[in-house]
Amino acid sequence: MPVVLEAKNLTKRYGEVTAVDTVSLAVEKGSLFGLLGPNGSGKTTMIKMLTGQTRPSSGSATVLGLDVVHDPIGVRGQVGIIPEQETPPSFLTAMEYLEFVAAVRKIPGIEKKADWWFNFLDFADKKNVLCKDLSRGTRQKLMFTQAFIHEPALALIDEPLINFDPIMQDVVKDYLEGYVKKGRTIFISTHILEVAEEICSGFAILHKGKLLHTGPVAELIVRGEHLPSFFLSLVRKDRHV
Amino acid sequence: MFELFTSMVKEEWRVHSTMFGSLSFALFPVMIFGIAFMGSFLLPLMRTTLPAGNLTLIVHANYLMLGLVVGGFGLLGNEVMNRRFGQASLVAYSARSLPLSEKFIFLNFVIKDTVYYFFLWVLPFGFGYVLASPFTGVPLTGALLLLLTLTLSFLFGLCGVFFLSTVYSRSRPVLWLVLLAVCAGIGGLAAVTGMNPVLFFPPLLLNTAFTWVNFLISCAILALLFGVAIVLFNPESVGSEKMYRDSFAPLMQRFSFLPNPPLAAKDTLDLYRSGSLVGQTIFSFLLPLVVIWFFLSLLSPFFPPHGLLFIVAVTTGVIASTMYTWVTMFDTFGPYACLPVAVSTLITSKLTTFAVLQVIPAIFIMAVTILSGEVAYLIPAVMLGISVSFYAVGIMAWLCGLSPNVLVYDVKVLFVYLILVGVVLAIFTAIAFSNPYFALSSVILVIPTWLLVQKAKVRWDSVDPEGF
Repeated sequence: MPVVLEAKNLTKRYGEVTAVDTVSLAVEKGSLFGLLGPNGSGKTTMIKMLTGQTRPSSGSATVLGLDVVHDPIGVRGQVGIIPEQETPPSFLTAMEYLEFVAAVRKIPGIEKKADWWFNFLDFADKKNVLCKDLSRGTRQKLMFTQAFIHEPALALIDEPLINFDPIMQDVVKDYLEGYVKKGRTIFISTHILEVAEEICSGFAILHKGKLLHTGPVAELIVRGEHLPSFFLSLVRKDRHV
Repeated sequence: MFELFTSMVKEEWRVHSTMFGSLSFALFPVMIFGIAFMGSFLLPLMRTTLPAGNLTLIVHANYLMLGLVVGGFGLLGNEVMNRRFGQASLVAYSARSLPLSEKFIFLNFVIKDTVYYFFLWVLPFGFGYVLASPFTGVPLTGALLLLLTLTLSFLFGLCGVFFLSTVYSRSRPVLWLVLLAVCAGIGGLAAVTGMNPVLFFPPLLLNTAFTWVNFLISCAILALLFGVAIVLFNPESVGSEKMYRDSFAPLMQRFSFLPNPPLAAKDTLDLYRSGSLVGQTIFSFLLPLVVIWFFLSLLSPFFPPHGLLFIVAVTTGVIASTMYTWVTMFDTFGPYACLPVAVSTLITSKLTTFAVLQVIPAIFIMAVTILSGEVAYLIPAVMLGISVSFYAVGIMAWLCGLSPNVLVYDVKVLFVYLILVGVVLAIFTAIAFSNPYFALSSVILVIPTWLLVQKAKVRWDSVDPEGF
């Protein structure tokens, strides 16, 4: 399978702090890839670099063949992104926000597509409510919609299920699994290991900005290991080091 | 609950110091002090053409205007508490999880902002004047009195607008009634005494002849305005869900002639639905300018013929340039970070909205020109005001990108801003004084403005759009 996302020695330093330290990884087309790590391990910074939201201090990365440093706008035009914190603009309604996204991304027929998403994620009653008045869960639904409404070849999602109730988590998990079956790729960052084990085909573990491991989930299953216990033993070992 | 206040003060410091370093923020009041200190040495020179009392009037008017410009807490209280610094988690917001009322949190927030403005602007200026007094022949007691009355002048502006903006957010008809009553009171005072009502402005009265009674009356008025404003402040009710019909698509259609119709439509809805288009126009633009016009009119005998009109036009231009902060205050780069939008595109869009808003200062200058019976100079005055506004916003965009509200407190930024704007103001005011029609030459400012905007786009595209 062709590689749709590739990072080579990607590093991000904030003054004295190294948030991401020479991370190299590759994600194949059609996979659901999980970037795992404890809080503060550099997952969000990694996603920000891969989507051109922040520049790497050194190293390089390509997403869908585009260089994230030289063409960040091109990258953001091609992919779908759900940031760590949901930030739809305060004074637009949910529907208006989707119209705004559609206008910026030049997506035709937004009314029909938006209505499908409002019904699918069960928030049609909120379509005319200002974003600032929406609950966190509904904002997350809106952000989920804006990331997938143009059916991107690759979606990068920071903590995809964090604000959803159990029913909605199930709906979203099913959607993500179906999405990659269509040949598209999803890159998620999460610290919910059970979810990662359930839906991811490949994974990478970050700790203190360093890559501890990357490989397919199937490899663990063959060895009779579970992702949560593998993750914990690796991170604990690294802590002692 | 002093802890809440101190936490907010620390937080405000860190927000600025993490943006451009503690030293640059700490040097900001030092620069204001330096300006006042050095400026004090010009006093003997200025006194040859302008009586000391009139100079005092100008300085008080400026501090009143500063208070008026920054005092609109009632208007934007909920918004600044929630999103002033984007997604940064502020004490003002997180304190809502503590057993504290929204009003109490807001009270701390307003006091913190007032204290900051005092230490950043008011105290350094007064202190510079006080320290220069031995060299300028001004008695130390006079300098200390000026420091006190300037503080009061600033607080009158701040508390006055805080009160009016809170009334506005509760009931617009009541605001008009209050304004009508204030105008009637000022008019009545002028009619009864036969004197200019400005001379009854409490800080000026105190500066002319200090009495403890007048001082206490001033403090009581301030406390009353502030207290009523806090009581009237209406915290945003959590869970309220107001429905709106879809206005985005039609607006975007209407703005199809602009460079970025979706961004322009979003900015317009931000301004309109937040209430700040009307509110900011009244409290951060019209009110301060009407007051400064009123004060400056007392000095017209000292200006060249038609000088007052062009001074007002230039001042309007500078104040109008701050409209850029109105359009940049609603969002950080956050909402755009997941979209294919460059910082330069956003700067263009915000400047486009700013350009549309320039209709307001243009109308204001026209009104001043007509009311002062100088219609012959309408075009030069409007041209001067709007050219200055665009030039100043070009500098602001170049120096601050999308964060003028925060970066203005970087001493390097303020220094460059003051130099670049100050030189141009001096040149074009002198040109307009020499011949009112020469003010038309200010159109030439379009060249540096265009260059500054181009530089702003290149500069801010090369900076990480993270943070603010």
